[in-house]
Amino acid sequence: MNWLTGAWAIFLKDLRLELRSRYALNMLLMFVLTSLLLILYAVAQETISERVQAALLWVVILFSAAIGLGRVFIGEEERGTVLLLQLNATGSMVFAGKLLFNFLLVVGMNLVAAGAFLVLLDMPVVLPGLLVVTMLLGGIGLSGATTFLAAVIARTSNHGPLLPVLLFPVLIPLLLSVISATHTAMVGNGWAEARSELLTLVGFAGVVITAAVLLFDYVWKD
Amino acid sequence: MSDWILGSKSGEFAIKRYTIIRNVILVWMTLVLLGAFLLDIPRIVILEHTARNLYFHVPMWFTMMAAGIVSAYHSVRVLASGDPVRDVRASEAARLAIFFGILGLLTGMMWARFTWYLGTGLWWNFDPKQSMAAVQVLIYGGYFVLRSTIDDPRKRSRIAAVYNLFAFATLPFLLYVLPRQMESLHPGAEGNPAFSEITHPIMRVVFYPAVIGFIGLFWILYTQRVRERLLRKKLEYQPEM
Repeated sequence: MNWLTGAWAIFLKDLRLELRSRYALNMLLMFVLTSLLLILYAVAQETISERVQAALLWVVILFSAAIGLGRVFIGEEERGTVLLLQLNATGSMVFAGKLLFNFLLVVGMNLVAAGAFLVLLDMPVVLPGLLVVTMLLGGIGLSGATTFLAAVIARTSNHGPLLPVLLFPVLIPLLLSVISATHTAMVGNGWAEARSELLTLVGFAGVVITAAVLLFDYVWKD
Repeated sequence: MSDWILGSKSGEFAIKRYTIIRNVILVWMTLVLLGAFLLDIPRIVILEHTARNLYFHVPMWFTMMAAGIVSAYHSVRVLASGDPVRDVRASEAARLAIFFGILGLLTGMMWARFTWYLGTGLWWNFDPKQSMAAVQVLIYGGYFVLRSTIDDPRKRSRIAAVYNLFAFATLPFLLYVLPRQMESLHPGAEGNPAFSEITHPIMRVVFYPAVIGFIGLFWILYTQRVRERLLRKKLEYQPEM
């Protein structure tokens, strides 16, 4: 099987399964909305600074990702379809397909979270383009790390709350960069101010995905 | 199975060599400690005698980095060979990286509290180097949590090695990102004089040997821990030993 068709087939399979059950979609949506409401009630009428708004937005996104995206490989283990996938596709195909699927979920989740923050917290945005680019680049790194670590935790016996413990220390460079770039998008004077953050995000996504592809076979095969 | 213990190829000679190196390190560390507390150092206002912390705090970072590199190296070898001894080595090096990381954090917090942040009462200041070490300790914490959730030893060694290497690959970004986000008072940071400009020659006489000594101390602890783990494993297979 051609590598691209294989990866695309796995992506389509996951998408179809997701549209049937809507588990991850509903989970992400509900998690983003409930945690956002929690924040709104917690800060009450207080005005919070732009920096804190950016931080809250990304903390919500990170927690949602850790909770909603961890299912991609656990689902295969539970349905007992791991062997079938191993027989029919190479490891990198599986990883690429799942990565694409998770990336789509992250983009959707970012849209919902950012939209809700814009409306409910009255977030000011001076550079909407920068915000979109930050969300996309951050989304690649985020989905790359989450997809890979989801494969890791699918191999453990007690996989519930493990993903955040493994994920968050790895994501700290990403978190700092996206918050800073989002802050620039909210109050900055131009794209140039966020240049080093955007470069970091590109580099981070590159390294995470390269490392994941190199290491994936050791996780995927017994 | 018996090859696990001390690599029986050279047997007796290896044990003798190990003992000699260990004793040299112990004598070396004793001299370093004597020098650290007894040699006269220039008094600087506020810093005063706390400057002696240089001999302990800084080598602990070096040692944590060395332990992290040893751990990553053996993780690569785990994936390449599946050798269970490599797994023992990788995990013991990671354990010592946590140990020296926490010691480095504690000595740094004490030092900063009573010099840099005198009068503020702050213990934690989001210094880039402090944050970096904290993240690394968190990563190795996650590494051990991950190990504890897998029962099959072969699978555990492989999955843990994978996580170790994956997390290790993201560390360089911290070196790049953190200094942009936070201010540092460490020597050599942006706008601060370099270490070599502000350190008196007499302190370097102790400092450089202290770095070597602490890494040597790591090596003793590491090899002893590895030997103990391997002996325990051997006992499981040969209870009559």
